[in-house]
Amino acid sequence: MSQQIPDGTRTPLEYDGVTRRSFLRTSVVFAAGLTAIAAGLAPLLKLEDFPSLEEFMQKYYKEMTPEDMAKVLKRIEGQVEREYGIRPHVRDLKPMNGVEFVYCLNLTRCIGCRKCVHACVAENNQSRNPEIQYIRVLKMPHGSFDMDKAEHDYNPAMVPEKDHFYMPVQCQQCKNPPCVKVCPVHATWQETDGITVIDYDWCIGCRYCEAACPYWARRFNFSKPSIPKEQINPDMAYLGNRPRRQGVMEKCHFCIQRTRAGRYPACVEVCPTGTRKFGNILDPNSEVSYILRTKRVFIQLKEELGTSPRFFYYFDV
Amino acid sequence: MKNDGKSLLVLTVLVLVFFALAGALALNLWGRTARLSPIPPVDPAVTSTATVRKSYAELVRTGADTSDFECYVCHEKDKPPTLAFDENHNLVVPKEHPDIVMGHGRNNRNNLCFNCHDETNLELFQTKDGRELKFAESTELCGSCHGPTYRDWEAGVHGRTSGYWNRAMGPFTRQDCVSCHNPHSPKFPGRQPAPPPHPLRPLPPAAGAKVEGEH
Repeated sequence: MSQQIPDGTRTPLEYDGVTRRSFLRTSVVFAAGLTAIAAGLAPLLKLEDFPSLEEFMQKYYKEMTPEDMAKVLKRIEGQVEREYGIRPHVRDLKPMNGVEFVYCLNLTRCIGCRKCVHACVAENNQSRNPEIQYIRVLKMPHGSFDMDKAEHDYNPAMVPEKDHFYMPVQCQQCKNPPCVKVCPVHATWQETDGITVIDYDWCIGCRYCEAACPYWARRFNFSKPSIPKEQINPDMAYLGNRPRRQGVMEKCHFCIQRTRAGRYPACVEVCPTGTRKFGNILDPNSEVSYILRTKRVFIQLKEELGTSPRFFYYFDV
Repeated sequence: MKNDGKSLLVLTVLVLVFFALAGALALNLWGRTARLSPIPPVDPAVTSTATVRKSYAELVRTGADTSDFECYVCHEKDKPPTLAFDENHNLVVPKEHPDIVMGHGRNNRNNLCFNCHDETNLELFQTKDGRELKFAESTELCGSCHGPTYRDWEAGVHGRTSGYWNRAMGPFTRQDCVSCHNPHSPKFPGRQPAPPPHPLRPLPPAAGAKVEGEH
């Protein structure tokens, strides 16, 4: 290093122990370090789905004025168009007065063909890979009701199989929903027509609801949903089938975009055996009222839990 | 900078650590699993809402070929067809009707064409109470025997109802009996199920075998 001259004066090149050489050396190491940190953080650049400022500042669903909602729907339409190349029709449908939805499923008739599962996926813009499906069809041996023995991955050449019955399970739209109770941010709640909905923009993805649901009805988007552009259903609802982000929960919502417009859900429309029945329980002339009045309604699934599902399984006779 | 050599060493090590980290992240060495295996798209037939069969009324409505229902192209008018029975008194279906399998009712109870078809006019049906019905009115014919099922059907509970649950907002449709049931062997036909859910990772073969063994 620099030499000390005997009379105590410093060489002109020296200042506080830093020489040109040591400065350059440290700088090079420092620059290399910064580069390395930048390189290490680079994968963050690949993160998509950053919410826009508008989305980040969005109000809670129940606090939004109609003007706020109109803006939000416009933003969603724009987002969908940018991502999938088609202009969707996104609506915010409100529950109708004097309507409470009930679902009835005939266990005598179900043949386990899983058409409902895939019609639901197509209608509700669910991720195709990884697969998200709201309906799980359980196959159980006749004469028992042991769900531990149920199979959901049966794949024979022909259904129904001998000595078995099939039981499709989906969100039961409970009157006393455990999933709503555990949500720490009120991102899921029960509407007056009985549908438990999720605000995908409010969900923080904690998955408490998934743990609380005794029917395994809730699905989590572990990765960004992938839907082929040509398979997008453009008829969308804010609380229904608009595309979801990674990290949010979703589940069956009785096809809110159809049923609140007066139509039957997609699973009812596709069922080849007429197993699935849907309607307004407050209307005494509806199909579901007729079933609950005259049929052997077997169960509400896991009745003993006190969740009081709006989904009834029944038998013909 | 007193410990010039030491701090340089620390800095160099840190730089190396960060570079290693960057490389590992870029190569995706841990954390996320690699690509998901592809899932083939489902057959459009799976999501189709078409019924299993087409009733005469629907064939007429869609302008399809109804030549199968023109009996007197082959049969002679005013001459009831003669039926043949084998030694077990089972009806022998003539070879001109290869698509007919007699399977209506248990114990071969419905062993006669003229329980439903009118022998004096084959293009009509006859009910037990003496009514004559057209091909397009087949649902009423079925209802003349299957009372409780017909009552359920009228209430929209037997068979599919599609369209609008809210009758004030739009139309709805019911299916005819023969849109799903073959009248000659009415048991609902089996079909191939749509693909089962694809697990994120393939199940170990041992677990699959165990599930099979339980049943």
